[in-house]
Amino acid sequence: MTKTGLAILLAGIASTAWAGIPAEQEDCLGCHTDPAQTFDLPSGEKLSLFVDQEAFAKSVHGEALRCTECHADKTSDHATGELKFKTRREVTKAYYEQCKGCHFANYTKTLDGVHFAVMAKGNDKAALCVDCHGAHDISHPAQPRTRISKMCARCHAKEAEVYANSVHGRAAETSPDVPVCTDCHRAHDTTDPRDGALARRTPEICGRCHGDEKLMARYGLSTKVIDTYLADFHGMAASFQKGKKSGPGVRLAAVCTDCHGVHDIQKPTDPQSTVMAANLQKTCQKCHPDANASFPKAWLSHYEPTPQKAPIVWGVLLFYKILIPFMMGGLVLQIALHLWRVVVNR
Amino acid sequence: MSDYIVRFNLQQRVEHFISMVVFCLLCLTGLPQKFYTAGWAHTLVAGLGGIDATRWIHRICGLTLALSTVVHFANAIYAMLSKRVGFSMVPTRKDFEDAILQLKYYLGLTEEHPHYDRYDYKQKFEYWGLIFGNLIIISSGLILFFPTSAALLIPGELIPAAKMAHSNEGLLAFLTITIWHIFNAHLNPDVFPFDASIFTGKISRERMVHEHPVELARLEGGAPIDVHAAGAHGNRREVG
Repeated sequence: MTKTGLAILLAGIASTAWAGIPAEQEDCLGCHTDPAQTFDLPSGEKLSLFVDQEAFAKSVHGEALRCTECHADKTSDHATGELKFKTRREVTKAYYEQCKGCHFANYTKTLDGVHFAVMAKGNDKAALCVDCHGAHDISHPAQPRTRISKMCARCHAKEAEVYANSVHGRAAETSPDVPVCTDCHRAHDTTDPRDGALARRTPEICGRCHGDEKLMARYGLSTKVIDTYLADFHGMAASFQKGKKSGPGVRLAAVCTDCHGVHDIQKPTDPQSTVMAANLQKTCQKCHPDANASFPKAWLSHYEPTPQKAPIVWGVLLFYKILIPFMMGGLVLQIALHLWRVVVNR
Repeated sequence: MSDYIVRFNLQQRVEHFISMVVFCLLCLTGLPQKFYTAGWAHTLVAGLGGIDATRWIHRICGLTLALSTVVHFANAIYAMLSKRVGFSMVPTRKDFEDAILQLKYYLGLTEEHPHYDRYDYKQKFEYWGLIFGNLIIISSGLILFFPTSAALLIPGELIPAAKMAHSNEGLLAFLTITIWHIFNAHLNPDVFPFDASIFTGKISRERMVHEHPVELARLEGGAPIDVHAAGAHGNRREVG
């Protein structure tokens, strides 16, 4: 086939793409054509009955689904003027179950998510499938990736604004590497950040990018941040506290976000950064209220002990690296000689 | 002549017992913190009731060790000043000569075996190792226990150095005890399987003849017995 032939064929497919979608095989689109067509719900809200056929055809389901695959209970004679729903939200909630038929894995994940938990407690506003993905106009969520954060911002405006001004948020528009909301919070089984479980996982979550040599090389960042953190008092304690939840009287070791911030993370050289040398004492004081100006120097700033960065710590380590093998070698040698003489004497 | 000689008084036995118990607990709660990436460390910490419980056990044992060290020194200084006891633990020139002679003996370069006084050079080595180790581990442990208060007294840079010292000194102590002390007090053919004198306070006269002839002679007001002429056991026992 020639290139021209291929182009003509592709153009042909494209031009007929929404003219012949499966949804048209049913009668629904014959009626649901008027943008002004609404149904009055008992709550006083107006439920739009309009289906934007063009938008649906372009959606991920356009080529795949007929109307009744989601609207299973609707038949061609359903226009009796009766709907069991009282509010607009009830309609949306009723369709929560519809996605499950095909997207079972992601549906199941949502049952572990904070949105489902909040909804189960009676908060009607908690996000359902369609709140994030849309209904008739569903498209791939990560195109572009920044769309994800904007979508979350519709409900979480305060957090989104803080994030947008952070080192990650500022770079999100231009860099494909920086995290968007779901990279840390996850999409379907979104963790409740309030019980501290998400924070417990930050060494791993942040480490996914900040431990990646190739990725960090692009920004001139060290990948030693995770190991040096884990080797320190906080990291070691945190690794033993995995899965532990915060609560009254529970003291949890500081994780990444306790020092660097959460949505407001800045470069450590940024004057706004909580980990900038000048701000560090205040940051330490969040957990160590009595911390004086000298206290932050107890932290090696993610550096490994070297003669330049931490000469005293390095010196102590060197001392023991020599002393322990020397001492143990000497003792074992003497024991060996002793036993040898015992054998000789016998 | 009694078959047994009282070697350790009640206070010394109690001090050893406390040190032994807290040392085991300190290793059990400290080593998993040093080797925090190992699977066994996590199993152990979970078994102890989590990292917070583990650390509290460690701190309480550490304070007990610190207290027993202070009491030990206070007693030792008082006893020495009141001239009830001699400076039997102080290393002397003889200890170095004994060590060299002992090693020569092990190597088969001599048949002459050192004649030890109340404490031989190995016991003094272990004692002073424990004392200096305790000083390092207690002071660094207190810095780690109260880091913000420590920063008022010392530069902040010393806190991670204290952590490094504490962690390595702990490992050194653990290895010394498991290798050296377990050998000398348990696996050494002279005492195998168990040298009970630090628990019972008593030691057989026979062992005193071979292991501490100089002290025995002093106690009994006679000249040191020539162990090589002692006969019955011949050279076979003269290895400790």
